[in-house]
Amino acid sequence: MEDANFKKPSATEASANEHAAQVWRDVLAQAVTGELVAALNYEALAGICTEPDEKAEALEHAESEKGHAARFTAAGRDLGITVAADVYALYWKRMRSAFMSRVRAADFIGCLLVQEVMLESFAVAGYQQIAEVAPGKLGKTFAVIAIEEAEHIDHAVGMLREERARNSEAFDEKVHRLHEEVMTTFAEMVAREDRGGHCGLCYGNCVKPSLPAVGLSLGNIRGASLHHYLKILDAIGLPGESTLGWVAQLPV
Amino acid sequence: MLSSADFALIGHPESWSAAAAVLSALRGRQPAIPAQDLREIIPWIPPRTVCRVRVRSSCGREARGVYIDSFIPPDRLEARFLRENLVRVRGAAEYAIREGAKIVTLGGFSSILLEGKLDLLPQHPGTSFTTGNTLTVALILRGMERAVDIAGRSLRTASLLIIGASGDVGSGCACCLAPRVKRLLLCARNPDRLQKLRAELMRLGTEIEVGTDVRQLAAKADLIVCAASLTAPAILLDGVAAATIICDAGYPRNLQPGSVPVHGAVFFGGLGQAAAGFRLDPDLEGILNPHPFPNVAHGCLLEGMALALEGRFEPFSRGRGLITASRVDEIWEIAVKHGLTLPPLFNADGPVERRISNLSAEARA
Repeated sequence: MEDANFKKPSATEASANEHAAQVWRDVLAQAVTGELVAALNYEALAGICTEPDEKAEALEHAESEKGHAARFTAAGRDLGITVAADVYALYWKRMRSAFMSRVRAADFIGCLLVQEVMLESFAVAGYQQIAEVAPGKLGKTFAVIAIEEAEHIDHAVGMLREERARNSEAFDEKVHRLHEEVMTTFAEMVAREDRGGHCGLCYGNCVKPSLPAVGLSLGNIRGASLHHYLKILDAIGLPGESTLGWVAQLPV
Repeated sequence: MLSSADFALIGHPESWSAAAAVLSALRGRQPAIPAQDLREIIPWIPPRTVCRVRVRSSCGREARGVYIDSFIPPDRLEARFLRENLVRVRGAAEYAIREGAKIVTLGGFSSILLEGKLDLLPQHPGTSFTTGNTLTVALILRGMERAVDIAGRSLRTASLLIIGASGDVGSGCACCLAPRVKRLLLCARNPDRLQKLRAELMRLGTEIEVGTDVRQLAAKADLIVCAASLTAPAILLDGVAAATIICDAGYPRNLQPGSVPVHGAVFFGGLGQAAAGFRLDPDLEGILNPHPFPNVAHGCLLEGMALALEGRFEPFSRGRGLITASRVDEIWEIAVKHGLTLPPLFNADGPVERRISNLSAEARA
């Protein structure tokens, strides 16, 4: 006998739930891939650290990012979703490549700028936006991981401020160069249209037009990420008029 | 601290097109940001310096400053966005402190922190804040005097309406003009504040009428100072008597290009001109100050420059309803000393003095 409290979903509701699940599957694919890229980046960073405590910290961060990827994957599994991941997907590959060029140059500060300022800004702000609308455990997972990622950034800001104090002109020039490489890729990734083709992570068509179906706004994810990024650059000490000009020149 | 600035000017975009113009200038040769993207991006930009300013005094001094935009979206100035806007203005004030500014002008909406939300204003021993409203009032008065003079009329015989009379700028204008006009008409949304202002000004012996209906009062006036941004600016176009001279001192402006009354004349009030010039880096002059004459800026911003040039790093304008004729004279004297004066009268369509001079002849015809 059917439970009196059980309300069988209508065909429309079932279809909406299925559509939402498809959206979360693609959103989680981006999150898991981002975490795996971060883990690989920190492992590579450990290879160029000269101080033992820096090396240990980088490896610790790598483990932490792997843990985030595992938690996102598990959150997807709870929703009945198998989450894909591909660190060679179009945009992530380019951002990873920018990071690896800094590793090859043994540029510790450049690595921090790419991973802890640029990529983590996207992670923290994007996860916060997602946490506000994602259901139940999925929302909590995004919220908790956003807080953990923010701790990475706080740690980096102090070091980067000190580095800037040594030679602000050279430092700002380096940030600008990396901004053009990494943040341009980020801006293309969150642009309304994928001019570069399929991102390589969405299961079918691009998920971006479907984000409103689960209450997400691409504009808010982009805006919140840029806001977070600009605030971090302010905290490091870069002049506001310079960073505003850089952001204004990003593709839309 | 990024670098030491004598002054900081805090503002916000007057319109979406103004915000678009700034970002387009910063984008260089790249295509303009589509309107939808612009409206999504602007609200997320944290307050920050947009350009560095260098102003020269006509007596040889120079002051350096910054223009800080709080990036309040132009369509979020209403009361329901008050809380988020206060956070933005506070952030802009903190940014000004970080820039090392000794005197900070809270222009436009930002002045709210000094007019009644002082507890939200960040404190720093080396930084003073001013609304800049006293010099704005001075420039409105000088503008109206010039317009009346050009039109061959006299303030003494005029019926002058002040819209937004209970605000800081409006009440400052009322206080200064009450003894100089035949009849003063005061209009604002809050009747209690209006009655209080009326009681204060009655002592001067001027005939005073107050009301909340703009259209009704506008029909009785031959001079109008609009010290507020109206929700329905068309009232200024279709409700005025023939040959009325209107000073539009609202921010954002009430009257846009092409929207001028058939029978009257409008000039933008509260703007001043730096005779020895100022320079913006990056060069956003013409974008931040899109006026038909060079080196023109809002009076509130010029007050910060004037105080910096004079070395008076003090909260010259703060509170609400405290602007007096003697304070207006004092800031005007400082401004004139440094070459910050009244530009030729103009509105969104360009120079307007010829139009004003023809008014009386048109009225007679």
